Amino acid sequence: MSKIWTKTGFQSENEWGFLSEGAEYLSVEDAKGSSDTNLAVRVEPADDVHALSDKLENIALIAVNFSAFADGRAFSHAALLRDRLGFKGEVRAFGQVLLDQVPLMLRCGIDSFEVSDEATIKHLDAGHIPGIEHHYQPSMNEPAKANSYSWRYMANSG
Amino acid sequence: MYRYDEFDHAFVKERVAQFRDQVERRVSGDITEDAFKPLRLMNGLYLQLHAYMLRIAVPYGTMSPVQMRKLAHIARTYDRGYGHFTTRQNIQFNWPKLSDIPDILEELASVEMHAIQTSGNCIRNVTTDQFAGAAADEIADPRPYAEILRQWSSVHPEFSFLPRKFKIAVTGAPHDRAAIQVHDIGLQLVKNEDDEIGFKVYIGGGQGRTPMIAKKVRDFLPEEDLLTYVTAIMRVYNLNGRRDNKYKARIKILVHETGLDELKAQIEAEWQHLKDTDLKLPDADIEAITKYFEKPNLADRAEGWAQLAQWKKADAAFSGWIQQNVGPHQHPDYGTVTISLKPIGGVPGDATDAQMDLIADLAEEFGHHEIRVTHEQNLVFPHVALADLEPLYRVLAANGLATGNAGLVTDIIACPGLDYCALANARSIPVAQEISNRFGDAERQKTIGELKIKISGCINACGHHHVGHIGILGVEKKGTELYQITLGGSADENTSVGQIMGPGFEPEAITDAIEKVIDTYLELRVSDDETFIETYRRLGMKPFKTALYGEKTAA
Repeated sequence: MSKIWTKTGFQSENEWGFLSEGAEYLSVEDAKGSSDTNLAVRVEPADDVHALSDKLENIALIAVNFSAFADGRAFSHAALLRDRLGFKGEVRAFGQVLLDQVPLMLRCGIDSFEVSDEATIKHLDAGHIPGIEHHYQPSMNEPAKANSYSWRYMANSG
Repeated sequence: MYRYDEFDHAFVKERVAQFRDQVERRVSGDITEDAFKPLRLMNGLYLQLHAYMLRIAVPYGTMSPVQMRKLAHIARTYDRGYGHFTTRQNIQFNWPKLSDIPDILEELASVEMHAIQTSGNCIRNVTTDQFAGAAADEIADPRPYAEILRQWSSVHPEFSFLPRKFKIAVTGAPHDRAAIQVHDIGLQLVKNEDDEIGFKVYIGGGQGRTPMIAKKVRDFLPEEDLLTYVTAIMRVYNLNGRRDNKYKARIKILVHETGLDELKAQIEAEWQHLKDTDLKLPDADIEAITKYFEKPNLADRAEGWAQLAQWKKADAAFSGWIQQNVGPHQHPDYGTVTISLKPIGGVPGDATDAQMDLIADLAEEFGHHEIRVTHEQNLVFPHVALADLEPLYRVLAANGLATGNAGLVTDIIACPGLDYCALANARSIPVAQEISNRFGDAERQKTIGELKIKISGCINACGHHHVGHIGILGVEKKGTELYQITLGGSADENTSVGQIMGPGFEPEAITDAIEKVIDTYLELRVSDDETFIETYRRLGMKPFKTALYGEKTAA
């Protein structure tokens, strides 16, 4: 059974429903053609997120698909949505969302997680996020500049 | 060399704790073996045929005596008294216990070492010229840039689950000793007409089952753009590299299938967005990192010139060692010394704990506290006074470390092969040992001259057979090992991929076949100065094929 996790904990309600349980989000193609607002869109690994660039105001949630935990394309999708396109809404990870990838996902700008792996749920629930505070690269979740070389940052503790 | 600051120490400590936690969750069943595999690989831990193997990073092949002693200690305490230096300038231990790994990582962290990203589908240890900072032909020292790349690529949030492994090499000299054209990204330091430092950038080189020579995408990339441009390449690759077939997942296939011009355009388009971001390198940061790599204070030692001439005259073996294993240094009173880990009949790249301890001592006494690992699986002291060569040689010789064969026929690269590796189809080490024994005579090697033999035990090509002047590839046919020979490969500034000669040879016949190839070269060369690769390039495959397989097959 799936749950939605954010940095404030597990959400008791979820307006958009669970992708793993058949919730229907718009495809990137459909979102391009829609004039509705408050959309939820799903991005598949082979999609190009730039296609959403002039629709972002109408989109509340973009879910990026980790179709396999070793398929890292959604990290780049999230980074591009935040950094290049300036998307301010919710970016959700779905698919194979596992505990050890969560810190990296957070750093790429993903801020909500549809999780079904039981061990992952257990550890997240216990506040156990196995990340590293010292970063040798910028991140999308507003890390603090380290007092050091330009490429170094400290994790945002908030 | 680079020294950790507080930030680096804290990072590695956190990384060790993170891995300890991952191991505990694996043991408790909270992580499946499938999900654990990429996590352990990203920390250098392989499962081999008989045991776990731990590969420890030696960033761009540079280490201190203190670090070498720690490796000796690990070999003695947690392994079977030896370690194996690799073609990625790293070291691997073949027999550690899983439960000891977090302790080993803590030991390593105490001397500023780790096993981060020595495996897995991430950015691997950045490699460079083993003579960096010393070689007489160097335009600029590549190590500061390799160090910046090392830091930037460590636990990168976006590029830790790439389609496949990713290897970057940097050379600071026009004579390429870092094999940059068989890397995913190859960087060559150059100066433009205004005397500014930048890089020639190559992408898409690689070995494995589809060897390809890298293509140039930039003639001059200013140094400040190093991280922004590499990020652009990585992002295009992460999004577009093939993930349906692991044998087609390296960037070389993306270059091949997309076309160089189109891919270059995609990289440039991405870079336009990145070039003025936080990743643009400030001069002050480049300077600060470069300061770590200042040359040691090398006092003039002009007395070495006359001494060296006398020593050479008095001892032919010493003279031969100087000839092969000592190279020109930026300071005329100094040389670079290659310590061969290829004793005749030995296992290429292996060193015992006692040898490692000794090398650490000698680096302190004669080597200005610097040790390098070469991608050809030897060790190097980059700064040795000519006046110290003879006493250094005496100690090395007494401990089986003074084989004067650098660059010669017995200086063989070999992968671990079927003796250790779960992927291998055939053994590599015994083949290397037999060839080494066959050609072990010092005079015979000298007569043959420069010749690079490289042996891989399977098509993944860890032994670099594609770029051996003579390459040997072990394959499995109907349950038996068979060895294919390739000729004409090279991994320097004139990189080429070797061509397959013909049907393979059984283990009992491969050394005879190699001997026939070499004898053919000796007959065909126009002078003693024409090297094997030059003769091959002049005449092509045919005369070698005729010698090996007879007239009919060669036609």
